[in-house]
Order: sequence, then structure tokens, then C-alpha cells
Amino acid sequence: MTNEVRLLRFLAQDMTQAELGRRVGLTRQTIAAIEQGRYSPSLDVAFRIAHLFGKRVDEVFHWQPGGDQETKTPNSDAS
Amino acid sequence: MSSLQKRAWLALWSMCPAYCIYFVAQIGLPYLQPTMLERIGCLAVVASFHAVAYICGLLVIKRHEAGDPLLQDERDRAIDGRATRTAYFILLTGMIVVGMVMPFNNGGWELVNAALFFIVLTETARYALILLGYRQPRLAR
Repeated sequence: MTNEVRLLRFLAQDMTQAELGRRVGLTRQTIAAIEQGRYSPSLDVAFRIAHLFGKRVDEVFHWQPGGDQETKTPNSDAS
Repeated sequence: MSSLQKRAWLALWSMCPAYCIYFVAQIGLPYLQPTMLERIGCLAVVASFHAVAYICGLLVIKRHEAGDPLLQDERDRAIDGRATRTAYFILLTGMIVVGMVMPFNNGGWELVNAALFFIVLTETARYALILLGYRQPRLAR
């Protein structure tokens, strides 16, 4: 899964990772991990990030079938 | 470095050296034929060292984190949950060995030390998996 979070932060007056994290309820480290594609956020957080930037979720996060099998999602814990 | 990572490093650095020394000493102690009180004293010294080192480290970490609005989020909880789940099975295995297998052939301090060993092993595995979860999410599943 890829995303446009870094670009959207830049367009939002170069918002810091810490500021974005504070506004969506994540730590700065998790925002950095999301931007680097090392972590896929939960649906709730994805919606919050998209809402913060005034975008739809599919405009911020892009998923391709079989594209990234390595990224861990919290929801897959239940399986 | 996230709050959970700092705590995991602290726990490993305070626990592993102390209990490594303890278990190495336990290998040599039977030759010295220590009394019960000496054995308990040895364990108390090691546990005290671990506790003091951990509390001191925790105070330093808390001072550094004083202004942070959020210490843990969903990613931290997911990594912690996976590590704890794996560690639980290590503890379960250890307790079966100590409580159901070893009593047939061993007793006394061998059982105590074996139980302690599995508890330390479980904690070490948990914190190691937490650290691994931050570096390689795929390996910590």
C-alpha cells in the first residue's frame, strides 16, 4: 500500500509529522512509518488522515492487489 | 524511538545482565553447598539490582517524555499485542516443563531456578519481539 501523506503534509504548509500525529491521534514515529510504507493504518486512522486533508481515503491511500504483502495491519491480528 | 521501544530496551538492559549473572552463579553454587538463606540472598540481590536499574531508567525516560501528548498508539499496541501473544506460549511451555515434567526427577532449587529461567526467557522474548516488530514488521507477525 502506498500513500500521499508526505505530499499532503507538504501542501498543508509543510505540517510536521508530530502535528499531524497529534491531530489524528498517532505518534510521530507511526506517521513516519506510514509515510515510509512500513505500516498500514487502521481504517479509522486512514479516514481521519484523509478527512484532515479534505480528501477521500482512496485519494490518500492506494492499494494494489498483491502489491505489498509485507505491510502489517492491526486488523490482521484478529485472523 | 517510540515510548514502547525505549521501555523495551530498558527492560532488556536491566534484566538480561542481572539474570545472566544469577544463572551462571547458580551453575557454580551447588559446588559451594550454599544454605537456603544464601540462595535467597543471591536472588534478592539480583532482583533488587534489576528493579533499581529499571526504575532509574524509567524515571529518566519519563522525564524526557514529559511534554509528549501521546505515548502509545494503535501501532504500538499492535506490536505489543503480537509480542505478548508469542511470549505467552513460551511461558506456557515453560510452566508445563517446570510444573508437570521436572517434578518427576528434580526438586527444590532446580525447580525454582527453572521457573525463574522461563519467566526471564519469556520477558526477554517479549521485549526482543517488540524491538523486532519496529524494525521488521513482517518478522513480528
